[in-house]
Amino acid sequence: MSENTTIRIALTKGRLEKDTVGLFGKMGFDTTELVEKGRRLILNIPGQNIQVVLAKAADVITYVELGACDMGVVGKDTILEHGGQYYEIADLGFGRCRFALATKEGSDFYGGVGVKTVATKYPAVTRHFFESKRMDVDIVKIEGSVELAPLLKIADGIVDIVETGTTLRENGLAVIEDVVPISARLIVNTVSMKLKKERIEELSAAMLSALEQGERGSV
Amino acid sequence: MKKYDLLTPEGTRDLIYDECAALRSVGDRLRGIFTSHGYTEVITPGLEFFDVFSNRSRHYSQEELYKLTDGKGRLVVMRPDSTLPIARLVGTRLSGSALPLKFFYNQTIYRANPKESGRDDEFYQSGIEIIGGETMRADMEALSVAAEVMESFEADDWRFEIGDSGFFTELSAKLPLSEKEQDELREYMLGKNYPALDSFLARFGSNRYAEAIGKLARLFGGKEVLAEAAEVLPDEVQPALARLVKVYNNISALGIGGRVTADLGMVSKSQDYYTGIVFRGYVSGYGMPVLSGGRYDKVLADFGADIPATGFAVNENAVANALLKRSGGMLTPPPALLVYSDDEHITEALRHCRKSIEAGLTVEYADLSTEEEARALAVKRGIKHIDTVTADGIKHTVL
Repeated sequence: MSENTTIRIALTKGRLEKDTVGLFGKMGFDTTELVEKGRRLILNIPGQNIQVVLAKAADVITYVELGACDMGVVGKDTILEHGGQYYEIADLGFGRCRFALATKEGSDFYGGVGVKTVATKYPAVTRHFFESKRMDVDIVKIEGSVELAPLLKIADGIVDIVETGTTLRENGLAVIEDVVPISARLIVNTVSMKLKKERIEELSAAMLSALEQGERGSV
Repeated sequence: MKKYDLLTPEGTRDLIYDECAALRSVGDRLRGIFTSHGYTEVITPGLEFFDVFSNRSRHYSQEELYKLTDGKGRLVVMRPDSTLPIARLVGTRLSGSALPLKFFYNQTIYRANPKESGRDDEFYQSGIEIIGGETMRADMEALSVAAEVMESFEADDWRFEIGDSGFFTELSAKLPLSEKEQDELREYMLGKNYPALDSFLARFGSNRYAEAIGKLARLFGGKEVLAEAAEVLPDEVQPALARLVKVYNNISALGIGGRVTADLGMVSKSQDYYTGIVFRGYVSGYGMPVLSGGRYDKVLADFGADIPATGFAVNENAVANALLKRSGGMLTPPPALLVYSDDEHITEALRHCRKSIEAGLTVEYADLSTEEEARALAVKRGIKHIDTVTADGIKHTVL
């Protein structure tokens, strides 16, 4: 539990990575290496004894769950889809969007008695959502643009991540129901939480207070 | 056409050489500790009826189990733990036995993990059960044996964590919650999901039990946590706290003081499983607890024997992996001697092998037709001595 314990944190590559690195900057960390990373995937924050690992969202969960990384920053969307055993200790507030159910504009999704087909990149989230409504649906897993599925008539609706809704609108689709809000979460390996408690709580508190200051600053 | 003839199912593996040696060495250590404390071994069937694992105190979900049907079409599962089968045994064949009963087990268990999660579906688990006995003494004994087990792993860093399931059970019972909401709250506690926990509890405003549950999740760490708990937790759970403090002090006095921490937010996955002191063991380098256990006073009742009990289980594969990483291999030393013979002296050579073994050596017989091949084998295996048996008698060579 000594103060010089290294903390390894996995960041979801892309937007969440950028936001987290920005946050580290605000906290006074030297983020030069993180900004000018080239193609490296493991980076250091000098003087903080923090190692940053860049990974795809689902891999962040895997690394944290198996203890290869102590902490991780990952979207609630990935958490809901993948599940797993780890501690979800903070809502970082950035990367905000939502899961929503959308259909072709003007269509009546809940009408009729037939079993509906829903296309999605997130079958677990979709299944859970309709299970909670006690509704049997057929789920079709789509890898790319889910919006295509109702247009090509293979699905009655889609469950997808919606930010502004522009893509939906441009393709003649509309949100008919919000499923669940999404934002970036700070997750922690269950053993690291115990073995490295002080450092993890310190870092998490520092991140949250920097976020709060940022919010106040932007108002 | 055969497709899977060269593979093992996901979550299973062949263990060879040091992997196997490490696992057996962990098993042997545990067996040694448990038998020296007077525990007797039980072996339960690898296959059990599904119903054994689907009762009030502990209910395995269908997704977690490997299932098959027996000759009569009844649903049978690959044993997912050893505690419930032992409870079944106590409730049936051993009903009416003098208490306490003390058992240990060392056998494989099977869990159907989500695909590609990197976890073992089949692993060796070893542990003890103390069935009956006076609560404080049995709890302390289980903890003391568990601490001995943790020490025996000689890990670089390890922690022993204790808690009490009573805190959460009693505090959450004070809130007007549906069964579904209870489960939801339990899940947030289990995952130390602070944001979800806080927003869930916020609806109760300044209800002191709700506030206490929020604090409970964050009350983990060293001795200072127990002092803090005495101040912030309501009177209803002070007896549970007093019990935990007593156990904490007792266990620290066993000489592992610096390694013991407490987590007041520890809850069991299944609502009615743990009913008192609970504990876990962690070693550095492994991302999940390697040891876990606690008091389960309601489980035996599900099998017709209303007896309190406590116990713990160790994931042997996890400990073996940690051991391997640390040792860097060479857990299995090569034999001391290689014996080779020409075509005419095979029986003499085999007799020589037995004699040398009786003299205390480990001896390998070279099933090879030339002396050159035998020598090459010795070099490859790191065997330092070769005895060659021919018409000239036994020639000894040191490599």
